[in-house]
Amino acid sequence: MSFLAPAFLLGALAVALPVVFHLIRRTSKEKMTFSSLMFLQPTLPRLTRRNRLENIFLLFLRCLVLCFLALGFARPFFQKPMVNDPQAAAGQKIVLLVDTSASMRRQNLWSLALAKAEEILRNTSPADQVAVFTFDQRARLLAGFDQWTAMNAGERAALTGKQLAGLKPGWASTHLGSALLTAAEFFADTDPQGRTASVRRIVLITDLQEGSRLDGLQGYDWPRGIEVSIEPVKAALPTNAGLQWVVDAEDSAQAADPGVRVRVLNASGSRREQFQIRWEGVTGAAPLDVYVPPGQSRIVPEPALSTNAAADRLTLTGDDDDFDNALYLVQPKPERVNVLFLGDDAENDPAQMLYYVKRAFQQTRRQVVGVVALSAKLPLAASDAAGVTFVIVTGSLPRAQLEIVKKMLHDGVTVLVVMRDAREGEALSELAGASISCSEAQASGYAMFGQIDFEDPLFAPFADPRFSDFTKIHFWKHRRLDTGQLSRARTVARFDNGDAALVEILADKGRLFVLASGWQPSDSQLALSSKFVPLLYSMLELSGGVRSKLAQYHVGDEVDLAPLKSAQPLIVRKPDGSEVRLAIGEARFVQTELPGIYTVTSQQPLARFAVNLDASESRTAPLPVEEFMRLGVPMKMQEVEVAKQADQKRRLHNAELENQQKLWRWLIVASLVVLLMETCLAGWLTRRATNEAAI
Amino acid sequence: MAQSRFVTPTAPRVAGPLIDPQTLMAIRNLELRARVVVEGFWHGLHRSPYHGFSVEFTEYRQYSPGDDPRYLDWRLYARTDRFFIKKFEDETNLRCQLLVDNSRSMTYGSLGYTKAQYANTLAATLAYFLHQQGDAVGLMTFDEQIREYLPARHRTGHLRHLMLRLEQPAGGKATDLSAPLRRVVEVVKKRALMVLISDLLAPVETLEKNLGSLAACGHELLLFNIFDPTELNFNFDTPIMFHDIESGRDLFIDPATARKDYLNKLNAHIEAVRSVCRKLGVGYRDFATDRPLELALFDFLRERMQRGKGTVKFRRYA
Repeated sequence: MSFLAPAFLLGALAVALPVVFHLIRRTSKEKMTFSSLMFLQPTLPRLTRRNRLENIFLLFLRCLVLCFLALGFARPFFQKPMVNDPQAAAGQKIVLLVDTSASMRRQNLWSLALAKAEEILRNTSPADQVAVFTFDQRARLLAGFDQWTAMNAGERAALTGKQLAGLKPGWASTHLGSALLTAAEFFADTDPQGRTASVRRIVLITDLQEGSRLDGLQGYDWPRGIEVSIEPVKAALPTNAGLQWVVDAEDSAQAADPGVRVRVLNASGSRREQFQIRWEGVTGAAPLDVYVPPGQSRIVPEPALSTNAAADRLTLTGDDDDFDNALYLVQPKPERVNVLFLGDDAENDPAQMLYYVKRAFQQTRRQVVGVVALSAKLPLAASDAAGVTFVIVTGSLPRAQLEIVKKMLHDGVTVLVVMRDAREGEALSELAGASISCSEAQASGYAMFGQIDFEDPLFAPFADPRFSDFTKIHFWKHRRLDTGQLSRARTVARFDNGDAALVEILADKGRLFVLASGWQPSDSQLALSSKFVPLLYSMLELSGGVRSKLAQYHVGDEVDLAPLKSAQPLIVRKPDGSEVRLAIGEARFVQTELPGIYTVTSQQPLARFAVNLDASESRTAPLPVEEFMRLGVPMKMQEVEVAKQADQKRRLHNAELENQQKLWRWLIVASLVVLLMETCLAGWLTRRATNEAAI
Repeated sequence: MAQSRFVTPTAPRVAGPLIDPQTLMAIRNLELRARVVVEGFWHGLHRSPYHGFSVEFTEYRQYSPGDDPRYLDWRLYARTDRFFIKKFEDETNLRCQLLVDNSRSMTYGSLGYTKAQYANTLAATLAYFLHQQGDAVGLMTFDEQIREYLPARHRTGHLRHLMLRLEQPAGGKATDLSAPLRRVVEVVKKRALMVLISDLLAPVETLEKNLGSLAACGHELLLFNIFDPTELNFNFDTPIMFHDIESGRDLFIDPATARKDYLNKLNAHIEAVRSVCRKLGVGYRDFATDRPLELALFDFLRERMQRGKGTVKFRRYA
């Protein structure tokens, strides 16, 4: 039996109260004023004969009446089970997204996540369909709807749970946004119309860390009928700090300082602020104390290391979670790049071109560019050409030298010929292997770049409108080139009068650039413009002088091994000792699943690169759920609201039952009967007392 | 209601009927009340209060052996051949100071009037009586300190003033006899008859000390201890919350269990006060407010007589 208004049952208690109080004490609230209480002591209430109950049966009847009334007002009814909602019987489609990013390696988060997943799987009805995805940088399908349906209904949860239990969180960063979108697209792919299930849910099991990337969620048009519910798992200890390598700009002025700077990042909500950084595997090196308040980061230089010691791993101590406390470092050595300058220019004469070339190429972290200037008239030895990647020719070369330069060009060296004079056309024709006519252009004011191919790698860095203004570079003099007979020539830039300004001619392996004017002040303002140095470096890069270095990568990054220029199959040894052999010609290494030092063993000397955890994984402070709402994620209604709805439904059902049964009427009748009995009994007792008194 | 054991054992033999205090208190005017009592008293005691007073009592007295023969009225002896002693006209009048307790406990009363009203009527009666005899009467009302003070005088209008002061309602606090009695010692320099009218619901120790200092100053003391009959009997029947007028304290009392203890303590208190009075030579009378006021006047006079000081006056023979 249940009651529609159980609060009225308390009325039955009220019946007992006066009786109980009557039995306990008789305390008067009435006051008697008296002159002085100096002769009086307080007395305790005591039971007297009048406290005893008389006519217990009568009292019982009266109490019974009140109890019946209270019971009647409570509206009792007999409970019957609710009829299930037919819509709910259709089952729901659930995509379970389980976070396997590096931050899930903290404490017991993974076991909590597994427990949650198992609970969700267990609570599914046979009509439900479940697909399970794991995600870190990308989402991976573990089990689809088809697999779920194919399984025996009783074993679905257990088998899928077992599949999940066989997994472990990896080291990749969290791309929560793309995972959610993948899940939404999965719904769209499997059931485009959304007809088979009334509810389509994405259940997200994650640590909901601040560093989860929510890219792509903003403005995404969510398919109808999808709701996302988040089941966060929470770490017991909130403190987490991580290490990150601060990469200096490549042309940093601190090139001479080979030191490494690291950023220590402390998650907001941390309880610790004092940390230490030490080199792992190095004895005697003093650790570095770092103070980082919660939610902030500090950049500190690496701890001091003795000159001969070599270490490639920095460790952070003083943190609760150590999954992100190691930083692997492979410090690249600056590479020597040789530039050969052939011409008669004086090194210290600002009116000459060499003056500017010397100053354009500065030593950076990545390379040390050495400009070797040789006179065009002096014989060029083969040793001079060794190791040269870029040749600048500014003067007329003798035949012998032309041959050497031509050979270099065909071997893959980039050559820039600066047309200082129209007479150099012959030499140019010799180098290009075709006749190129050259004449001095008519000097009428100045010329400037009028047409530039910004898609060419040479000018690609200037493609941005902020940098693409070349009109301030005036060319007082230039030469007119005719490359009509050269099919391999491509004009990269033209002057505003239509003359070719910069021509690229492809040789066998090398590349020949012809600049129709010089950059010395007598010819143009090119050397004085901000475009000059980037232009030279672009040429240097195209010549292969500036190579992208193997150094620092994050877990999951693709490593381009092409700069190694190996003709052999590449073999990469991973930090766990396993080796990966790439196919011949394949230069993309994608198996960067572990943080640590990777070594290309097929190269001599060994090429090494470090793979570290993404810095965003260290930001483990919980992400507010409101952030999802802000991004328009269709969040599932709060559990409270669902419970409220269920409660409302149950109440309606109860009211309906009570209305059908109407037991209260019988209770009122019963109370009236008892009241009648009470009246009779009371009357009889009164008459008897009167008679006794009369006697 | 149980019979009070504090009823005065020696009822006076007065000729007329005594006036019931409840009837008396129905008279609003205090002076009128006092006059009714006093005249009724004279009426019962003598044929006329104005006859013989000056002739037999005031002027002459028959010679008795032991009297000083210098005070014999020889001329009267010549006329009547009897010895009379002639009193001087310039005799010293009695100075009487009435001390009336106006503390809050005096506002209690179960008979339709309070102890304070009864005490004021008593004081008014005494004042009227003494004034009629030509004595100087003063008044001092007090609670924990002196509220009203009228020096003892006998002049026209003084009695009126005194009555007006007595008609002021009692509004004091706790009964603390120490401060007012100390003050009396300071204020009243001439020897006088001090009549203290109070319920004396205060520690006996302080009473003893202060009465002692008054007696030491040469004052003659007479103490009327006023009680309400309920206070003396404690004849309540139901357990009830008692509210102390003086302290404002509430106490749950079951009279059935508390009565015996209460009466014992009250008796002990009265006995202690009586003992103190005996020791100090202070006249003591306990009074329930249901007693006719004539009896109080009678007690007053009898007290005076017992002390051998004449009816009402100190007499000095020339």
